[in-house]
Amino acid sequence: MTSIAKKRSAFRGNAVSGRAEALFHVTLGLFALCCIIPFIFVIIISLSSEDSIRRIGYSFTPQVFSLDAYTQVLHLGDSLWRSYFNSFLVTAVGTLLSVSMCVLYAYPLFRKDYRFRGFFSFLSFFTMIFGGGLIPTYIVCNSLLKMGNTYAALIVPMLVSPFNIIIMRTFFQTSVPFDLIEASTIDGAGEYTTLVRIILPIVKPGIATVALLTALAYWNEWFLCLLYVTDRNLYPLQYLLMEMQRNAEFLARNSSMIGAAGAEALRTLPSQTMRMAVVVFIVLPIACAYPFFQRYVVAGLTIGSVKG
Amino acid sequence: MKKFLALLLAALMLLSLTPAMADGPEEISILLEGNNVTDDAAVLEKLNAYLTEKINVTVKPVWGTWANFDDLARNAVNSGNNTYDIMFTCSWTSNEYAPYAKKGAYVRLDDPEDNLLETYGADLKTVLPELLFEGAMTEGPDGQKGIYAVPGFKDFATMSTWDVNVTLLEKYGYTLQDVIDAGFYGWGDIFAKVKAGEQADGSVFYPFIFEGAVAERNVNGTPIVTGDAGSLLSYYMNLEDVSTPGAYGNVLLNKYATPEFEKFAAQMHEYYEAGYIDPAISMGDTATDTWRNAQNSARYLISSEVSLYGYEVTTSNARGIQVAYIMSTDAPYIDNTSVQGAMMAISANSEHPEAAMKFLNLLNTDPYVMTLLNYGVEGIHYTLNDEGEVVFTDVRNNSYTVWTNGLGNVTILPPQKGQGADFQERFAAFYAGSKKLPIYGFTFDPKPVENEIAAVSNIKEAYMLGLCTGARDPQTDLPELLKKLDDAGMQKIVDEANAQLKAFLGE
Repeated sequence: MTSIAKKRSAFRGNAVSGRAEALFHVTLGLFALCCIIPFIFVIIISLSSEDSIRRIGYSFTPQVFSLDAYTQVLHLGDSLWRSYFNSFLVTAVGTLLSVSMCVLYAYPLFRKDYRFRGFFSFLSFFTMIFGGGLIPTYIVCNSLLKMGNTYAALIVPMLVSPFNIIIMRTFFQTSVPFDLIEASTIDGAGEYTTLVRIILPIVKPGIATVALLTALAYWNEWFLCLLYVTDRNLYPLQYLLMEMQRNAEFLARNSSMIGAAGAEALRTLPSQTMRMAVVVFIVLPIACAYPFFQRYVVAGLTIGSVKG
Repeated sequence: MKKFLALLLAALMLLSLTPAMADGPEEISILLEGNNVTDDAAVLEKLNAYLTEKINVTVKPVWGTWANFDDLARNAVNSGNNTYDIMFTCSWTSNEYAPYAKKGAYVRLDDPEDNLLETYGADLKTVLPELLFEGAMTEGPDGQKGIYAVPGFKDFATMSTWDVNVTLLEKYGYTLQDVIDAGFYGWGDIFAKVKAGEQADGSVFYPFIFEGAVAERNVNGTPIVTGDAGSLLSYYMNLEDVSTPGAYGNVLLNKYATPEFEKFAAQMHEYYEAGYIDPAISMGDTATDTWRNAQNSARYLISSEVSLYGYEVTTSNARGIQVAYIMSTDAPYIDNTSVQGAMMAISANSEHPEAAMKFLNLLNTDPYVMTLLNYGVEGIHYTLNDEGEVVFTDVRNNSYTVWTNGLGNVTILPPQKGQGADFQERFAAFYAGSKKLPIYGFTFDPKPVENEIAAVSNIKEAYMLGLCTGARDPQTDLPELLKKLDDAGMQKIVDEANAQLKAFLGE
């Protein structure tokens, strides 16, 4: 065994030098640490006692640990579970619709035999650079489409993402050779059969990537809710948290104006540790979903329809 | 073909006319601020039945929260939609009363042409004190002064106070009178003794935790000058009698250039150096949290508060100590900021301004409507105890928490538990004793000097909190600040403000 190990370490082929590799590892390791530390910090704060925060502020080593924040969150009861349900619903429906639209839009753009692909590429690309602005968008969604206070308001505005369409089209271009479409046409497949039975299985990794991006976007979205939804029964989880945070900030900023009434309101707001506990509640499901998608994302780097 | 088109158009016109001709009640929507409401079905059922019968109107409240109100209001106004018929407004959110009225977002209520206030709000005019309407006068889009919102009858005068932890004070052998007699400049000995005693167990204790701006206001008697969003200007009140001008007369001064401010900052610095002040209150990010946390956990001796009548009962119960408030003026003072603290405006895009006014009239004069919307349904949201006081149930606490002061006339509400049956009479009597500032009604218009204000505000921001909480040494930093302010055009702002004030006072 040792001889094999030795041989392997001796043979480095076209690998980078040991020193460079160490440097890469350290750099990437530090980067990964930067990403994970804030989250660990959030978990620790959510497990600190409120009194400890009052005395020594946020700290990696709180004086007293406590599960109070989580009991408080669970006491939110209905509004927590309803928001959880809303988040799941919006994410699931939104991702499904958005990904199908993305694929259906990107597929013709990749087909060289489609006459108007230039025009439709431009159409989607154009909206990436020039947006309508907040107020016109608001008027269209709220007054024209009457989407205020409905689930549609949380889903429809994000259905078409030009960026995802471009990713998808590029993925089609790199992994699906045009010969394949010709071959299936010769074999007697119609357009739908070609798309569903031949093309889609090949671009699964691409779809997974886009689905992951879309799902993340829907899961983390709160701004749409702020704009269009005032009915608390429709709040997604992110907005529930956002509202706690903004409530606290607003009252703090205007405390000398609202005076005593504001102090009263501030006192009934969720504690800092509780807000952190909600963050944990938000991150957990999407963090659990990540490994499933990741399998495809990595596979997408290596897979292709034509072997060799 | 033409005939057909004409017929079609005529039919369409008829169709669009039908809702207006329908006899059913008019529905008005109201955007409210600062609530936490998830279930209003029970309240609306009763309220709308009552309103339909009385004035043939139904209401649909949109329960804005502290978090989303600003955005909802801004979008509704900027998009020019008739999203809401009635909108909450005030002098301190971004949805500020004066600028939005000037912009034409609200209906003028005392418009000579169709005086809504006279026609549909006659009861309201007799119930609310006249001075509230005086304070609500502001410039409209046509440059004429008018009333653009119904002011809320609430704690309409400002009580700028020191908040004293009497329980802790008495533990060290002092009385409240000692604190009052010693005054801000003489609290050193008390702080020293309490700090030493509380730190005997090895912990850290800061006796003096407050809000920088309010402390300065308490000591120097400098109320907020309406329109001066960056707190650059000072008007000196007469602390012995707030209805007469102070030592400087009716002039506005550069807040940081007076000997009074220097003396105040020097004293704060002395307290800070002695370790009486929590350093966390001199940093913008942590200031408010630290101050409120100290109050709520009763770990302070003296703090600051913009208080209201009867508030010491609430805070004493909540904190488990005896709290007392020492008012810095001889009486609560009436300024624009407090009078415009909570108002209801009718949106300029509303299709039902008359119905909206009828509703506002009822909301401010009919105890049944006000109580129902504010406290909920008796038996579901609250119960009455033997003294006739309101006791909230869990249903109200969980799903129907309304910001009382944000609705209107709070003096027609029944008292809450612990307030006593005659609370509203005492409340009204207390505020009847408040005094108008000599410059009451003046609003500084920053428009002519907005460039200077932008330049000056950033400079001030870096120094203000540090000086007001003692973290900065005024001996070195105050001259530095004044120099920078002068270079950025501070004098021009002061001159413009005084010119406006002179014009207002008619001098």
